[in-house]
Amino acid sequence: MLGEIVKGLRTTFKYLFKKPVTVQYPEVKRPVRERFRGRHELKRFENGMERCIGCALCAAACPADAILVIPGENDPAHPNSPGERYAATYEINMLRCIFCGYCEDACPTNAIVLEHQYELAYYDRKSAIYTKEMLLVPPDKGHGEIPPILQELNRRPSPPAQIDL
Amino acid sequence: MPDVTLTIDGKTVTVPAGTNIVDAARAGDVAIPVFCYHPKMKAVGMCRMCLVEVYTPKIDPATRQPVIGADGKPELALMMNKLQAGCVTPVSDGMVVKTVGERVEFAQRGVLEFLLTSHPLDCPVCDKGGECPLQNLTMEWGPGNSRYDYADKHHNVKPVALGDLIYLDRERCILCARCVRFQDEIAGDPVLGFDNRGRNWEIISKSEPAFDSKFSGNTTDICPVGALTSSDFRFKARVWELRSTPSVCNHCSVGCDISIDMRYNDLMRVMPRENDFVNEIWTCDKGRYGMRHIMSGERLKTPMIRRNNAWVAATWEEATRYVADRLTLVRANYGANALGGLAGAHLPNEDLYLFGKLFREVLGSNNIDHRRGTPDEPTALDDLPNILGVGAGTNLTTLGKGTAVLVIGADPEEEAPLYVLRLRGIADRGGDLTVVNSYPTKLARFAKSAVTVRPGAEAAFVQALLGAIFAEGSANEALAARLRGADELKRSVSGKPLADLAAAAGVAEATIRAIASSFVAAENGIIVYGRAAVGAGPALTQALANLALVGGKAGRANNGLIALTAEGNTRGALDMGVRPDRGPGGAAVTAGMSAREMWAAAKADTLKGMYIAGMNPAKSNTAVAEALSQLEFLVVQDLFMTETAQLAHVVLPVATVAERDGTFTNAERRVQRFQQARRAEGEAPADWSLFQEVARAVQAMAPASPTAAPAKKSAKARAAESNTAVAVAAPPASWDYLVSSDIADEISARVPGYKGTSYTSLELTRKSWGRQPNESFYYDGTSYENTEGVGVQLPALADDGKSVFQLAYREPAPAAADEQFPLTLLTVVRAYDGGEWMRGSKLVPRTVPAHVILSVADAQQLGVGIGEPVRISSAAGTLELRAQVDAGLSAGVVLLPLVKGADLASVLTGPQTRVSVAKA
Ligand code: SF4
Ligand code: SF4
Ligand code: SF4
Ligand code: SF4
Ligand code: FES
Repeated sequence: MLGEIVKGLRTTFKYLFKKPVTVQYPEVKRPVRERFRGRHELKRFENGMERCIGCALCAAACPADAILVIPGENDPAHPNSPGERYAATYEINMLRCIFCGYCEDACPTNAIVLEHQYELAYYDRKSAIYTKEMLLVPPDKGHGEIPPILQELNRRPSPPAQIDL
Repeated sequence: MPDVTLTIDGKTVTVPAGTNIVDAARAGDVAIPVFCYHPKMKAVGMCRMCLVEVYTPKIDPATRQPVIGADGKPELALMMNKLQAGCVTPVSDGMVVKTVGERVEFAQRGVLEFLLTSHPLDCPVCDKGGECPLQNLTMEWGPGNSRYDYADKHHNVKPVALGDLIYLDRERCILCARCVRFQDEIAGDPVLGFDNRGRNWEIISKSEPAFDSKFSGNTTDICPVGALTSSDFRFKARVWELRSTPSVCNHCSVGCDISIDMRYNDLMRVMPRENDFVNEIWTCDKGRYGMRHIMSGERLKTPMIRRNNAWVAATWEEATRYVADRLTLVRANYGANALGGLAGAHLPNEDLYLFGKLFREVLGSNNIDHRRGTPDEPTALDDLPNILGVGAGTNLTTLGKGTAVLVIGADPEEEAPLYVLRLRGIADRGGDLTVVNSYPTKLARFAKSAVTVRPGAEAAFVQALLGAIFAEGSANEALAARLRGADELKRSVSGKPLADLAAAAGVAEATIRAIASSFVAAENGIIVYGRAAVGAGPALTQALANLALVGGKAGRANNGLIALTAEGNTRGALDMGVRPDRGPGGAAVTAGMSAREMWAAAKADTLKGMYIAGMNPAKSNTAVAEALSQLEFLVVQDLFMTETAQLAHVVLPVATVAERDGTFTNAERRVQRFQQARRAEGEAPADWSLFQEVARAVQAMAPASPTAAPAKKSAKARAAESNTAVAVAAPPASWDYLVSSDIADEISARVPGYKGTSYTSLELTRKSWGRQPNESFYYDGTSYENTEGVGVQLPALADDGKSVFQLAYREPAPAAADEQFPLTLLTVVRAYDGGEWMRGSKLVPRTVPAHVILSVADAQQLGVGIGEPVRISSAAGTLELRAQVDAGLSAGVVLLPLVKGADLASVLTGPQTRVSVAKA
């Protein structure tokens, strides 16, 4: 009996002197893994163009039907994205999303990426819908160039599938 | 044709001789991939996707006998010692075809790799993505990767406009010429062509204005890649997101089967739905691009009542109660005859039926009509198709050699566009097409003989045909036993020498003889007549009936008359009794006022209240607008705040065709069902449901009897009216229709002829011609297979095989010489007429301002150039319009297109108006 108590307390005492693993959330935030799937972001190219071309393949892939894409036609003088099509409306309902990442897999331009933000809480359902403005990264956060051959052609390049990092 | 038996991939297939290998394989459920071949068009062998190994029995050159091998079977030789294009190789006996195997696969992969050398592969952007044959064939037969350098692709400026409706992406085009061939072979507007060569080879539009065709949308369907897209659908949605609802176009009397493709509650596009009896796999641009009005922001959303000259929104109950109140009040004060009703003939049968019922049985008035009451409308209503119309089971798609088609007084391109394709198809397959009209039409281009008759001489022309038949003694005896008065007719017609008859018609005697004999000799004969023919008067319709009967061309499938009516459901309106002279199914009633009489009565203050549903008679017609503004009460039920609605006291919004269920009856008397595709704005109900609400409210106000109105003087007359009106059958006392099929059931029970048109029978589909499991190669991204019903064709009276017909002779009116008004003015329909249906449509730029068309001779004589203003004067008044000149028009004829903008009623006196034209 006594032996067992001592045995149990030994574990207690051992941990008493160890460094605690508890993180004081929300003051302190634990970094997530590289491949963590959090809230999505819509990426841009280095020149500021939207990567998303409004193809709605993400919406088709989404098992939770969380994504709404309504496409539009780019104004050739001020294109939002390379090619003719762009996403006029892009919305993700974070309450529906199961963070499976299928959308990211489906995207031919690597536009939609599940990033590391996980603090997703809402007071009402409506605010769980992230619009394109909320998802799109700022213009200076672009990365990856449109292949130079297509830029050289000085016209709107056609194959978005080839535009990649 | 004799049948040929061959073996395809080990399967034995027997097909008619002349079939190509691709079609033969299809019959044997073997898939041969194709790009350029399309079963509706001639094979050209342009893409080489259909390469297969073809073996034919070896022939010994000495004996001309098949060489028998050691195994006792005929020895086979590879045809031409190389692969053959299956679409252009006809089958032959003993042929052995291999569609799989290393050699074929190598070729198929090669063709696809080559097609993709410069293909942008921007499927995520491309509108065809998801229903693209190139995508599908590449997945199934293509190489996994390409040996060509991606950066070497040929680039072009992305979309070029082939016309205002169709855009071409030259990077995606695989130069299969399906679009060019469709325009040449099927639409008959050869406006597309190839330009340049090599890498710069491209499709161009050769016409001015660009891509000038009423069928241009079909090219986007049959293009096997996303090279052709329509401005109406470009980048609106991805095809897999669309929800398709079967519908029927109500823009003309063809009644094409269409599919309304929706995303959520928004219309994305309209596609044709296959129906061999109606539209094959095509639809015209009017049907395809003319449905945007259902999404228009200008649509009425709430009922409105005019109070103190301002519109006040009301609830549905308030509004219908108010309507019932005021209609009852008018009836109480002036009698039921002071009430009139007009319902547009594009409304479905259900609505038209209840409209008639509301007026005849509840309000007790027979003053209803589906016409607008313009002076150029023919006075007589044409019921001939119900008697001698094309027999049940008619299928124009199957007709060709042995069929004579006489098109008289019709311009199908403008009146019912798809008939151009259908009738031209018959001519292409070897049928005899004769086009008779008093002004040039597009269909005449495909006719074996095209005849121009003087306006007014149409009846004389048909009389001359009859004369020729009698003169040659070639009358067809098929119906002889059922004819009465044949001898009198023969005597009256043969009384005059054929030369005189021909001279009266202004057509050479030889031409008349040729047309008459080919019509009588043909196995099947169809007479198509349109607006101008009905306008020419009853002498012509009677003569056409005589011709069909004497020629033995009635009472069976593929024989009889087809009347191209003014609106999509005019046939239905006539059958449902929305007409002053007859009740549903032709029931006898005391004749009420026609639309034209109503305008006169309103002017004379004897018509006091009107109910107008789905019609805008005040448009471009000041006389009618004046008459309407004199009314004590006017309720207008429509989609938009039209010119007529602005004069109303109550406006009731309604649902469009896309927002409700119903049926239409087309020109061939085929009843077809359409289904609800979306919710209406403001929850607007279907027209019939508003009629029902009003009827209920009226009944609640006067529960005893609808005719027990206080006005004594005409009580007896009204009682008589209501008696005859209900003579059809005992009316169910209650108005308790829940869904439109309740009404359809009542229609099929009460309207003779509509028996068997319940929604269940309308939903039956027969397997269309040869749809096979591998059909997607032909149809991917094109017309939808019909799984929702091909409709039911109502039998014509003559179909019963026993009813007898009275032939009658009507003397054609002699040509009237008129010094003061030397010219004859005809109003002609324009497909793009600027009507309410065009709101929000991409077709709006195709509408033309009001103008008048003169012949070259008349224009020269008057010294009028193109675009100059002229003054037209008639007995009715004058009108100033700009002039156009048509080189094909005969002198003495003036055409007035029915488009928005000119007060045409001010100058017209009838279907054919005598006018004089002067330079303004
Ligand atoms: S992560 Fe999965 S569930 Fe969430 S939006 Fe993407 S596909 Fe849909
Ligand atoms: S798959 Fe990518 S490019 Fe396509 S709509 Fe989604 S985010 Fe945009
Ligand atoms: S536009 Fe389309 S249909 Fe026309 S040739 Fe090119 S690929 Fe063929
Ligand atoms: S032909 Fe007539 S019914 Fe067919 S789509 Fe055109 S307008 Fe509609
Ligand atoms: S060559 Fe046969 S389908 Fe094109």
